[in-house]
Amino acid sequence: MECYSLLRTDVPDLIDHLGAYGEIVAPHSKGDVSYSFEVVQDSNKVVLDYDRTLLPLKKMFLPPQEKLMDFSLKSLSYTPIKLHIKPRVFFAIHSYEMQSILRLDHSMLSGQAESNYLRRRKKSRFIGISFKPDEFHFSESVGIPIEEMEGFDLYLNEVDGDYQLYVLTKNGHSLIEGFEKIKTAEPEIAEDRKFNKKIRFHYNRLPQVFQYAYHSEIWAEVASRCVGCGSCTLTCPTCFCFDVKDEVTVTAESGMRQRSWDSCMLSTFAEIAGGENFREKTINRTRHRLYRKFKYITDEEGLPWCVGCGRCTAFCPAEISLPDILNDLINEDEKAQHHHQVMA
Amino acid sequence: MKPKVAFFDFTSCEGCQLNKLNLENDLLDILKHVDIVEFREAMDDRADLYDVAFIEGSISTPACVERIHDIRRRAKILVAIGSCAVNGGVNAMKNLHPIDEVRETVYGDDKYLFATLPAMAISSVVKVDYVVRGCPMTQQDFLRLLISLVLGKQPPKYRTPVCVECKLRESECLYNRGMVCLGPITRGGCDAICPSFGQFCTGCRGLMDNPNLEGMSEIMTNHGISLEEAQKRMLLYNSNEVKL
Repeated sequence: MECYSLLRTDVPDLIDHLGAYGEIVAPHSKGDVSYSFEVVQDSNKVVLDYDRTLLPLKKMFLPPQEKLMDFSLKSLSYTPIKLHIKPRVFFAIHSYEMQSILRLDHSMLSGQAESNYLRRRKKSRFIGISFKPDEFHFSESVGIPIEEMEGFDLYLNEVDGDYQLYVLTKNGHSLIEGFEKIKTAEPEIAEDRKFNKKIRFHYNRLPQVFQYAYHSEIWAEVASRCVGCGSCTLTCPTCFCFDVKDEVTVTAESGMRQRSWDSCMLSTFAEIAGGENFREKTINRTRHRLYRKFKYITDEEGLPWCVGCGRCTAFCPAEISLPDILNDLINEDEKAQHHHQVMA
Repeated sequence: MKPKVAFFDFTSCEGCQLNKLNLENDLLDILKHVDIVEFREAMDDRADLYDVAFIEGSISTPACVERIHDIRRRAKILVAIGSCAVNGGVNAMKNLHPIDEVRETVYGDDKYLFATLPAMAISSVVKVDYVVRGCPMTQQDFLRLLISLVLGKQPPKYRTPVCVECKLRESECLYNRGMVCLGPITRGGCDAICPSFGQFCTGCRGLMDNPNLEGMSEIMTNHGISLEEAQKRMLLYNSNEVKL
């Protein structure tokens, strides 16, 4: 692995250099205290130290709202929207975010590939960056350390305020070709980055816990605090459900078909023709959300479908904490195990 | 033949009706689909039968009751527009106080000259076929309903909270900015216009189906306001729905 040193003050120049490849997407400040991924207009406005963006990087591959086609009611015809995606570099991406894209790849591309996702995903380059975990990050507990480099072409590791640039792929190598503000260096490991939030069990034990957790009373306790706003799933980087709607313009002659993100935490999600709803109560939906993250897909794929970004917890108005629910379930499971041993 | 459409106002500020006249860019398109046969705020004509009657305002006097029954008899489809008509809106705050006290405060010694009732949603008195929510109702929402009726389609129902649209716009959550917002329990369809411009949601589109009001109170008190203040906020537009 090639390793270079890079001064923090030279990062904007690196971003400008990457512009030769295509559009750069990077974290920017948003509102009072938040961040969001935006297309870079001015490399000096890119934020290198951020906790998490409001919406995950997923939005660049599966937009929150997307027009799929225009249609005419007069000629009864439709025109699909043609996508023209420039090559893109995703800059200053945290490891859990990259892992969420790899999981989304699985969800969107296995079997019949989702064509718009695929178009957006092609020609993407990813440049990772290290981060200091806050009170919500717990990605290490789901198997994703800060320095997990899978998926990245380049990785910026912060050491004493400046950076080490690791070149991880051929594509990464060609991205920095001709950039002269880097010097060859020896890789160092930063020791000051620790996760504050942890799941008590290794993630590979969670499916076992979930096998017996279906009737736990913990779900009712969580549901009593949940107001069903959907923020947890709408900010989740691995959720991929969407809804499709047609809208007719005021002329009543034409219209468009649009899809937008949906959420299984909303009461309408599992409602079907005739008004039946197979997850009518909040308790059914809270439980389902966690089973989707730690049991149903995990049983198939061997990985938790949660990357520990902490968004569902950080953006929950009721301050419901996903790792706290997991730890409560684990405690309950341990108690039950102990009880059975004593009985035996 | 184009459907005959009429507009009527009851206890309200008439802001929703005015909002329709502000649809300047779309008014001509709308008139291609419908004939407006009665609209006090914009014209003098009157008609006897309506394909669609749009009702603004709440029912708050015996005279209102009589009049809405008369309109309902003459209308094939009746649509309540704006929060006053849909659930009583801000008018319904009156219902939180004894009715004698209310009359005395407003009319003083003349209170016996003015008959009054609790402020009610139109649907408390007659059958309402569709609603356009909001204070005021938004033009987009009104157009969507109108076009659906013209095309013979079921108008959209808004059954997800304001938070959903706020998230889709990637607006910063007002709770993260130290504010208290009713978005989580309020029916969406407004494109989260208030929170997206930094104004907390006051609940003007009404409550979600089966809202968790205890959970909502807890959220608000955890974010630094008293239970009394939290309840007042929930009551502002929803006095007829919130049971504390």
